[in-house]
Amino acid sequence: MSQMLSPDMTIAAEATAKAKIEVKNLNFYYGQSKALKDITLSLPERSVTAFIGPSGCGKSTLLRVFNRIYELYPKQTAEGQVLLDGQNVLDRSQDLNLLRTKIGMVFQKPTPFPMSIYENIAFGVRLYEKLSKSEMDGRVEQALKRAALWNEVKDKLNASGLSLSGGQQQRLCIARTVAVKPEVILLDEPASALDPLSTAKIEELIDELQADYTIVIVTHNMQQAARVSKQTAFMYLGELVEFDRTEKIFTSPREKRTQDYITGRFG
Amino acid sequence: MGEHTVASFDEDLGQISRLISDMGDLAGSMVGGATKALLNSDNALAQRVVSDDAIMDARQRELDDRAITLIAKRQPMADDLRHVVGSIRMAGDLERIGDLAKNIAKRVGTVGLSVTPRDLSHSIDAMAQLVLIQVQGVIEEYAARDAAALAKLRAADERIDVKYTSVFRELLTYMMEDPRNITACTHLLFCAKNLERIGDHVTNIAENAYYVLTGTQLPANRPKQDETAMSAPAA
Repeated sequence: MSQMLSPDMTIAAEATAKAKIEVKNLNFYYGQSKALKDITLSLPERSVTAFIGPSGCGKSTLLRVFNRIYELYPKQTAEGQVLLDGQNVLDRSQDLNLLRTKIGMVFQKPTPFPMSIYENIAFGVRLYEKLSKSEMDGRVEQALKRAALWNEVKDKLNASGLSLSGGQQQRLCIARTVAVKPEVILLDEPASALDPLSTAKIEELIDELQADYTIVIVTHNMQQAARVSKQTAFMYLGELVEFDRTEKIFTSPREKRTQDYITGRFG
Repeated sequence: MGEHTVASFDEDLGQISRLISDMGDLAGSMVGGATKALLNSDNALAQRVVSDDAIMDARQRELDDRAITLIAKRQPMADDLRHVVGSIRMAGDLERIGDLAKNIAKRVGTVGLSVTPRDLSHSIDAMAQLVLIQVQGVIEEYAARDAAALAKLRAADERIDVKYTSVFRELLTYMMEDPRNITACTHLLFCAKNLERIGDHVTNIAENAYYVLTGTQLPANRPKQDETAMSAPAA
């Protein structure tokens, strides 16, 4: 009987989870070209959501709307609503710096600053907070521990961030994101350039971080999406085709297009 | 069902399907053979069923190897994953059906020595026909990808349970009538029980096949009509 009940109870628990980000009727344009078509979905708080889909399906675009990083480029426009805790981040009045402290982002290629490991983390914190030396030391240590990097770098905090391995650099970038105390972390293919061991460390880290942060990950690695996320969105040609519990998506998806994509029958 | 971008993936899945189909055919032939051997006291046929079980075991091992290799190489998802995992489970049930048929075949000599079994085994004959239809049907419906027919077939196991209850009572009566029947009837009771168990394995296969095809499970509760536990001597 308990086996019969548990899936329903899981669904009930997820239904009551608070939405951290709600996307409503979102359209996105690169110039004249429509890249996102009427996307509506709700991302639960303190949980990992994966976006999957073939190249050009709009998953990275959707991620880039959340912290409005697309505005760094000309002729890119978003219509609709992206509510972070009920506040529309697409409002003109939204303070972008504040938004980007709340929604941190880590990219496919590690992007450490050409400065020391310590400064890589302290740099961002200084933009928003005035901390004493000891407070900053504490914050740097805490962030590096959070990113599971502390033990590997604690004796060489003054070494260049660029001297680290690819996997360590990526964790440094996650530490840098975590240091400014965001609420949401966006990961755009964070492990696609890493070896399997570094990938495993990143995945372990994602698993730990979801206790405190809402995490959104874009990945081409379906097994990775299946491993790390609680819910998965499949996108195709700018549309949200299916959004469901990860377990459901990877064992018995509702839509044929999802099935064809994840089983390798596409195109 | 469309084809995979990687064609050898389709070949790997196809080989697993062929093995399930082969094992299903073999299971049908073993159940049919064992029953026929029992009813006709045909020792040569019984021997063939016993030796077929080694082929069944080898097929299952081959399927396991192929399925595990496929999982390692291709990391199947969704319907592919259900297909591979479901096939492993169905092969386990087919292998057990082979074992049970072999067990019936091994009793042929002993039953035949004591009495003419034909006199005692009319009901077993009818029961065996029901079981054989189920064994052959489940593999056919799976190959035809007919989920509705599989659900129906699973429910039809009820008829085997009812038949088993009547065989049990009938054999009990023969034993009470004449104690010289006890040896033969006891063996026949085991044969009937084996047939009933084969029916249960068929329902497992139908459930797995249904899940492979649809991604949803049939409801857990299936009608149970085996009342022999209630009519046991203690009752």
